[in-house]
Amino acid sequence: MNPRAGTRVMWTYIGTGVAIFALMLLAGILLRASQAGWIPVDPGTFYSILSLHGVGMIVAMAISGLGTLWYLVRRETDLDERIAFIAYGFFIAGVISVIVSVVPGRYGSLWTMLYPLPFVGTYWPSWATGAWLVGNALVMLGFMLWCAQILGALLAKYGGIRGMLAIDYVFRNRAFTESGGKPPPPAMFAAAITAFDGFVTGMVGLTIGTALLVHWIDRSVAIDPLWAKNLTYLFGHSIANLTMYMAVAGIYVGLPLCTKRVYHTSPQLAVAWWATLVFVLIAYFHHLYMDFAQMQWMQFVGEIASYLAAIPVVVVTVYGGVMLVHRSGMRWSLGSMFLYGGMIGWVVGGIGAVLDATIPANVDLHNTLWVPAHFHTYLLEGVLLFTLGWVFVNLEQRAGAVSALFTRWLVGLGMFGGGGLFVLSFYSAGAAGVPRRYAIEPAPGPFWASIATAGAIAFAIGFTICVIEGVRLVRLRKSKAAA
Amino acid sequence: MKKQTLAATIILLATVAFALIPLFRRNVDFPIPVHHALHAAMMAGGALAGIFFAGSLMRERRGGAAWLIVAMFAPVFAMLLMWPSEYSYFELHPYGHAAEHLGLTFLAFVAGYGGQRYANGIGWAFGIGIVAMALLAIGGYGVGPAITTPVAAAPSQSNATAAPNVTHGSALFTQNCAVCHGVGGAGGEGPPLKNERSRKTLAAAEAWIENPAPPMPKLYPATLSAQDVADVAGYVETLR
Repeated sequence: MNPRAGTRVMWTYIGTGVAIFALMLLAGILLRASQAGWIPVDPGTFYSILSLHGVGMIVAMAISGLGTLWYLVRRETDLDERIAFIAYGFFIAGVISVIVSVVPGRYGSLWTMLYPLPFVGTYWPSWATGAWLVGNALVMLGFMLWCAQILGALLAKYGGIRGMLAIDYVFRNRAFTESGGKPPPPAMFAAAITAFDGFVTGMVGLTIGTALLVHWIDRSVAIDPLWAKNLTYLFGHSIANLTMYMAVAGIYVGLPLCTKRVYHTSPQLAVAWWATLVFVLIAYFHHLYMDFAQMQWMQFVGEIASYLAAIPVVVVTVYGGVMLVHRSGMRWSLGSMFLYGGMIGWVVGGIGAVLDATIPANVDLHNTLWVPAHFHTYLLEGVLLFTLGWVFVNLEQRAGAVSALFTRWLVGLGMFGGGGLFVLSFYSAGAAGVPRRYAIEPAPGPFWASIATAGAIAFAIGFTICVIEGVRLVRLRKSKAAA
Repeated sequence: MKKQTLAATIILLATVAFALIPLFRRNVDFPIPVHHALHAAMMAGGALAGIFFAGSLMRERRGGAAWLIVAMFAPVFAMLLMWPSEYSYFELHPYGHAAEHLGLTFLAFVAGYGGQRYANGIGWAFGIGIVAMALLAIGGYGVGPAITTPVAAAPSQSNATAAPNVTHGSALFTQNCAVCHGVGGAGGEGPPLKNERSRKTLAAAEAWIENPAPPMPKLYPATLSAQDVADVAGYVETLR
């Protein structure tokens, strides 16, 4: 087993994820600036960029999280580096195919598209739809490969599903501990749930993806639109959710490094993850509350599942994280700032999501900018910060140094202040009823888009300083090693 | 012979026998959802056989990235093979239909065997996954309402303006189409056309008759006029 394989895979994945994120950040600023009326972008181009931005951000966050988890699982089990790089090859091939569909092809019906929109768009040629579908399928194949590898390793390490999910540890706690049994560390729950739900989601994604590809080739193959929407959101919503659960591993491993304490597995933590395992797959129903053809019981299940998917693991994890920091004398470096800030972003984004998933509120909020507000909070101020937190904790530890106070203030102002302003403008516009997925928004959309653009630019400046600081820490470590 | 190997052999033989039914019962006119369900049953047999065969191997022979990749692609190819078009080219002929079934059984076997060869438990994941995909397909893969899309409902080239005459369409159908599609669209060498309305709009049916994919012969405009096409399409839409 090559001892450097874990770090090689992790940095390749995270480096790629951060690079894609940076490009998608620029695309996002362009979108908001055009809605603000600062930069003219024609609607066809707007929807193409929006499609690229949406799928690109999810892929960026997912690749970063998968790299981190792969490294953490490899510390516990035996993983083949080649499979991780084959999966990476699928991701890159998928990204290239998606870019081809959007840049020369001008595909523009978004990644969680509603059938038959990809086939009736007038802005893009038919081949662009095919390239888009193939690109998504390739990314999905890479993801499934990753999931299968991690599942296989965890099942082997912990002796099957009972051990992997700590079932005996919860139900027969005394006998389990007295016999010398040890439950998996917290980060392994994140890996197991990501791999399990990711595998299921991947199968669903491939089902709808293949069906759409077949329809693209042979238009006489009918597709049921409600079926397609259910599968698209089961796949899309779950993948977006799972990016957070991948990144949460940063709290379990990163915060203990900052606080010099240990994040233990508890029965509560295990049960909270079980809830996530089950309910993350059926929480997507809240995207179909207004589809009146959908069976009514599904709507109620959707509301309950939306609460049960997120709340237990957020409460247990965040409570554990806060207790870890409490009176620990932790130094507020960039790494610890990001990890702690990520918990706040996760909670705030989660509250926004739970409000949207509440049936009476959903009617007013779901088709507005409230929805992008909550997932931008969740991704930008949650998943990204966890990833950067994990990266900086590692860099700081290896360099034996932390960033200057002034740098931390600059990064904090940009990424927390600018990012906060950015998502707040989304929430405000959503509460005011500004519709989402519109190239040209009715008032007060352009006003809030101006504020959002300013916030996003501040965020981008903070992010750039953060990247420069990361490069400085890498060089510092190298120079120390050379000395 | 180990118990697992014996069980795998029995399951595989039973599944193959089930898959070969189209050779003996030629006019099978199941709705597409039933077809998907039967495919799911075949794939369950194939996957189980694969899992048991792999399980009968020595533990130390497990592993290998190639097995995982092979297992991962099998479900995608299975979904492609389940192509639910009325002109699913494999299903036009009993031998093709049986070959399609054997292909599905083989792919499920590969998913179960490959996954299990890679790591204990992964064969079950892929096996359950491939069957679940076939079951999911029941909900809408080839069974939704026809939706007008640019290609499916390309404007008819004909200049027919009169409403379809179903009686005339029925006569034309008997004369030109029933030899392949069977009397009343019950199916024969060509696929059955019952419930065609759930798959194609009138415009889509007209467009198809005007520009069919091989092996269906193109009768417009040489044999059928624009109005004839409209009448035949109108008649086909009434078939139940």
